[in-house]
Amino acid sequence: MTPTVSASGLSLRYGGTRALDDVSLRLTAGVTGLLGPNGAGKTTLLRVLATALPADRGAFTVLGHDPGTARGRQEVRRRLGYLPQTPGFHPDFTAFEFVDYVAILKEMTDRAARHREVRRVLDEVGLTEVRGKRIRKLSGGMRQRVALGAALVGDPGFLVLDEPTVGLDPEQRMRFRELIAEAGQGRTVLLSTHQTEDVAMLCHRVLVMAAGRVRFEGTPAELTARAAGRVWSSTERHPGAKAGWRTGTGTFRNVGDPPPGAELLEPTLEDGYLLTLDGAGAEVAA
Amino acid sequence: MLLIRHLVLPVHRTVPWGQVGAAGAVGLLLAALTRTGESAERLSLYLLRAAILVFALGLAFLLDDPARHTTATVPTRRPVRLALRVALAVPAAAAWWLVALLLVPPDVRPPVADLTLEAGAAFVLAVAGGAAVVRFSELTRPGRSLAAGLLTTSVLAMLFWPGRWALFVPVEDERWGAAHDRWAVLLAVAVILGALCTVEPLRRRVRP
Repeated sequence: MTPTVSASGLSLRYGGTRALDDVSLRLTAGVTGLLGPNGAGKTTLLRVLATALPADRGAFTVLGHDPGTARGRQEVRRRLGYLPQTPGFHPDFTAFEFVDYVAILKEMTDRAARHREVRRVLDEVGLTEVRGKRIRKLSGGMRQRVALGAALVGDPGFLVLDEPTVGLDPEQRMRFRELIAEAGQGRTVLLSTHQTEDVAMLCHRVLVMAAGRVRFEGTPAELTARAAGRVWSSTERHPGAKAGWRTGTGTFRNVGDPPPGAELLEPTLEDGYLLTLDGAGAEVAA
Repeated sequence: MLLIRHLVLPVHRTVPWGQVGAAGAVGLLLAALTRTGESAERLSLYLLRAAILVFALGLAFLLDDPARHTTATVPTRRPVRLALRVALAVPAAAAWWLVALLLVPPDVRPPVADLTLEAGAAFVLAVAGGAAVVRFSELTRPGRSLAAGLLTTSVLAMLFWPGRWALFVPVEDERWGAAHDRWAVLLAVAVILGALCTVEPLRRRVRP
């Protein structure tokens, strides 16, 4: 399958900190999850791929265009949707006006066609009812959907979503998952998240980052399989476990190298993620 | 051109006219003080300079854009968007300056052309400062800190600027002409810096 995004050797430093360290990846159609602890470089990678931030070194292409040239970046931006980690708005705009403004910035100059597209996108993100309401009067979840609508307008081939479900209640998060799953039909979506459930439910591929490097690239099943035979139950936290916590039933769920005869449990994606981080030398919260 | 036409109205709505308008109102009040008595008339140059400074502080908010990150990766280039904001502010600034000048009684009005040069340089410096903050930081609303910086710099410049490069000189001072040559240089530098700062880099400069 031809990759939508192909990157090699992306590196970027902030002062003495290596935010990206020789990152190479290939993204194909569907939703790819990007997991990693705070400070892993997820947002930096997303901003670089979304052309919001130039890298120090390395190269990448998006839909066959090289954003390292002015013309290439322009072409990439014509095919890109980007939802930043903390989207901002002009609060006096209505949801319709704001998405329409972004549509103009995306060079949609035919008013009738643009308005049709804005209405389609607002319908897709479930905001038709409130499209005439000022953004300042919308809830956090609705504002997030306005931002997703702005990213989706123009039907981009590559969609970059930076922690879109942060701060949403479970119902809103579920609704957002549906939207992202729909958005992933026929286009490439890169989704940064702290929620392993988001990745388990939505993604066909997953990347795990730590300390600016990609530590894992594969399917969610492959990440989960990393923890096979390495999750066990005990009556107290096992001292040798990489991570362990008391569950609702009162027993401890341990992740790491089990002692002989341990009662093994079915691993989850989160277990595989924790073990991947531990292998990367990152801090694992117990 | 068609794109610009479509953008004019929404971009006009994104401009923080409240801050610009408030600064303009305070500036006009200062200019109007020249009509309040003989001593105020003598101070007309300084009152007009204070008015210019206050309005420049308002213009420091011109590039505030809470949606900056949401619209960071659209194909309409940043220089176009920033230039449109500036273009929308130019008629307002020109009108404001005309009213400020008319508020000063004609017999005590300082040389209009030279003071217009000072005003132009101050306004462009404020906007260029905004462009520089946008270029080199992630701030979405740089106006407040930029205005504070401009105010501090202006006060310090008035107090400590070396006499041989004086900018703020009285009309009767023999350095008036030379000072306005320097204002012209300042204006040119501000225009160039502002224009350079609107460009989005393709590469970051790698430090060894």
